Amino acid sequence: MRKKAIQALNEKARAIERLADGEQPTAQALTDRKVPQGCTTIFDTGWETNPRPTYPVGNCQASARDFHGCVGDCWWPAQMPDGLTNHREFDEQCPNVARDWRNLKYD
Amino acid sequence: MSAALHWADLRLFDAPDGALLFDAEQASLFAIDDDTRAAIGRWRGREAIVLDEVPGDDREVLAALARRRVLRPAHARRVPPPRPDPAAIPVGTLVLEAAQACNLRCTYCYAGGGSYGGPARAMRPALAARAARQLVEGSGERATVTLVLFGGEPLLNLPALRAAVEAAASAARARGKRLVVSMTTNGTRFTDEALAFVAEHQIGVSVSIDGPPDVHDANRRHAGGGDSYADVVAGVERLVARTGRAPAARVTLVPAQWHRVPEVFDHLVARGFLEVGIAPASPVSADLLPTPAQDEALIAGFAALAGRFAAEAARGRVLPFSNLLDLCAKLHAGDVRDVPCGAGLGYLAMDADGTYYPCHRFAGDDALRVGDLDTGIDHARLRDYLDGEARVRAGDCAACWVRSLCAGGCHHDNRLREHALRLPRGGSCEFVRRWTALGLAAYAGLRRDGPVLAFIDRRARG
Repeated sequence: MRKKAIQALNEKARAIERLADGEQPTAQALTDRKVPQGCTTIFDTGWETNPRPTYPVGNCQASARDFHGCVGDCWWPAQMPDGLTNHREFDEQCPNVARDWRNLKYD
Repeated sequence: MSAALHWADLRLFDAPDGALLFDAEQASLFAIDDDTRAAIGRWRGREAIVLDEVPGDDREVLAALARRRVLRPAHARRVPPPRPDPAAIPVGTLVLEAAQACNLRCTYCYAGGGSYGGPARAMRPALAARAARQLVEGSGERATVTLVLFGGEPLLNLPALRAAVEAAASAARARGKRLVVSMTTNGTRFTDEALAFVAEHQIGVSVSIDGPPDVHDANRRHAGGGDSYADVVAGVERLVARTGRAPAARVTLVPAQWHRVPEVFDHLVARGFLEVGIAPASPVSADLLPTPAQDEALIAGFAALAGRFAAEAARGRVLPFSNLLDLCAKLHAGDVRDVPCGAGLGYLAMDADGTYYPCHRFAGDDALRVGDLDTGIDHARLRDYLDGEARVRAGDCAACWVRSLCAGGCHHDNRLREHALRLPRGGSCEFVRRWTALGLAAYAGLRRDGPVLAFIDRRARG
């Protein structure tokens, strides 16, 4: 019989193997490096512009990262209302997103 | 999309058939084949690895390593548990320094001739009995309590030993607990009365003996002068004749003797000792600090015994070298330790006057008094001491691959080196690492279904 490529020797190693038995991929953690940074837990008004000469020019950095992070296989816009709205009076109705977001009415 | 994986803090060791992989954080040990080792070599330089982006066969190998948590997501780091609270851990082992006196004057003694400083003194039997009862009554849910009869030379105070053991036995009986009694003695005081006591209470005995006569008598001499080897041997013969049980040998060697490790071991095994444990003498004074050549001699001696252990194991026999058996048991379990020993965490010592110390070796060190028989255990002081020790070592240990097994090393040796001798931290670390590497190889070489591994397994389970 061919020797196993990896063989658990001590009790701890065996315990770890048992842990992995039958393990299936589950939802990926948000710390995954492919999740765009900066779009998760803060309200970002988005007025700061993307200083990099990359598309979408003029968006805030966080929004720009979202764009690249999300155009592929994950679309996750909810944390960034300013990134997906063309609400006309956004700046009047919602000068502070954290406080005023309820004022935003979408048709 | 798959998560980015990062390498564990792993170490690879050459093995006859592939390599050994040790995860320093988890204390898990794997044998890997050459292909796996080569794949690790190709990918180890990467900060973050996304399995989906790994081509071909390597992906399979790395996925197998991920299953063993050798590659893991960044958030999977082990979070150290909070510092253990001495108040939450009932004492299960008490070392009674029943006689702070000794009839020998060993040159390397950390107890200053047995008294731990100050005049020689003996524990009163009434105090010994109270201490033993306090041990049993304070042992919480523990099913087993251990009383260690210690000195100086404990058999210089048989009345106190008897009082302690009888009190502990009756308290344990009343609570349905098991009592284990052990004793460390110099082996020169096995009178008929002492032997009857040892036999009656089935006391596990360790005898301090350092090997052949010239090695032993170089350091272990009578207080009034004169060799002690012949007395010890005669005492051990009487002990075996009376109890039918061979004692364990507890060897201490000064650096000038370290090149004689294998010979010392053989001598004591031939004398019929159950096991032989060999301790390098603690540096109670600067002249006990080794030269680099002596350090090499010690590791060479231990390596020679590790080689013999492997050869014996291949024949299904256990080489009774306590150091290696204990190390193998530790490696076998792979339990991650955040404290180096049980001192102050279930283990306490009491001196002849009834003062508690975290460890028997600290008797007489006023800075480490942690309560007494009348006022009870001073948990706050214990916690301060243990937390302080952990704090000063945390940085050094964080980068060390044996940290999960060693957790900072012997408190007493550290105190001698860093306080008494004012040496920098880490003086024994290199030895610990080299010895652990030897142990890893010896352990990994054991047949998985063989009797020696079964022996180690029983030892690890206590």
